[in-house]
Amino acid sequence: MDQQRRLDIDVNPPKIPPVGIRMIFSILCLLSPALAARPVSYSGGSTIMALSDRAKHSLYYHYSPTYKYSVGVEAVKNRHNGDEHSYLRLTYLLDRKNTQDSQRNLYLQSGVDPVDLDHYFYGVHGDWETRRLFSGFGYRHVVDDETDFEEQFVQFGIAPYLGDYGDLHAWIMIKSKKNTLFGSWSTYPVFRLFKGNGFAEFGYSDRSQWDVHLMYRF
Amino acid sequence: MKKLITLIILIATPYGAIADQNADRAMHQADVFVDGSAIDVDPDQIKQFTADLQGGQVAVVSVMGMVCDFCARGIEKTFKRDKSVAKVDVDLSKGKVLIAFDTEEPIDRAEIDRKILANGQNVTAVQMLNI
Repeated sequence: MDQQRRLDIDVNPPKIPPVGIRMIFSILCLLSPALAARPVSYSGGSTIMALSDRAKHSLYYHYSPTYKYSVGVEAVKNRHNGDEHSYLRLTYLLDRKNTQDSQRNLYLQSGVDPVDLDHYFYGVHGDWETRRLFSGFGYRHVVDDETDFEEQFVQFGIAPYLGDYGDLHAWIMIKSKKNTLFGSWSTYPVFRLFKGNGFAEFGYSDRSQWDVHLMYRF
Repeated sequence: MKKLITLIILIATPYGAIADQNADRAMHQADVFVDGSAIDVDPDQIKQFTADLQGGQVAVVSVMGMVCDFCARGIEKTFKRDKSVAKVDVDLSKGKVLIAFDTEEPIDRAEIDRKILANGQNVTAVQMLNI
């Protein structure tokens, strides 16, 4: 009798048509040497997120076949020129370092509008966090029919208290952001909350106006 | 003289704090023994976790990189897909995952490692507690 019982969990993610994956990979790899975006989920996990700031409104869904990458679709309305695009997106975890008290990540991200292949983006996103401290940065270059632009941010935060698993967790943060469509850097406070599978982040400044990020993982 | 006292306090305080911490940890460790070894986990949490279990085993998994509640969600979801897993809990402060198996059969350590890695974290130790 086999003494080493195999756990009967199936950690293999639900099957995605291989043709679809190949197509997404092929398009993105052809169009951008660098890939990237916001955190990849756990293996087999899905995430839906909504983002709204001065530059755009966005609704984004992604699925992570493994913790190393995610594929997704994002609907974006550009608030600067009113254009609407749907992106096929790929985020790749380029590097992760786990320690007992911290985690550091570096992601590459990209997206392309399958209807208008001249409209795509690529960038990089990184973060380092402990239970008490957070720091992150992001850079994205967006290629548009009319005007290319860049988005950059840096963000630092501190947790005012350390909650247990399942508690409501809160972060007080400061974020500096620049979109070349709007000019100079804008720095403003951000408040982050998450509990269970839900996540919400709110920031506001006179110059940048509302910066809202909602996320749910399942 | 005041400078000397201040210096002594400054040097002694961290050592005292570490000593207190170690004593506290040793006291906690002494509460639970598994196969002759101590488990570094909050005794209240493990008592609460095992209170409604009828037999089986509990794996106490030490995990690196589990720095937030959000990070640990995937671990819980992955293990809960296993029919032999009765419940899962997480101790973020100590970086531990508690997994209750309702089976007496040996648990495959490599499988636990693989599932934690599938969530992007690393296992440093697994200790088994028989209920």
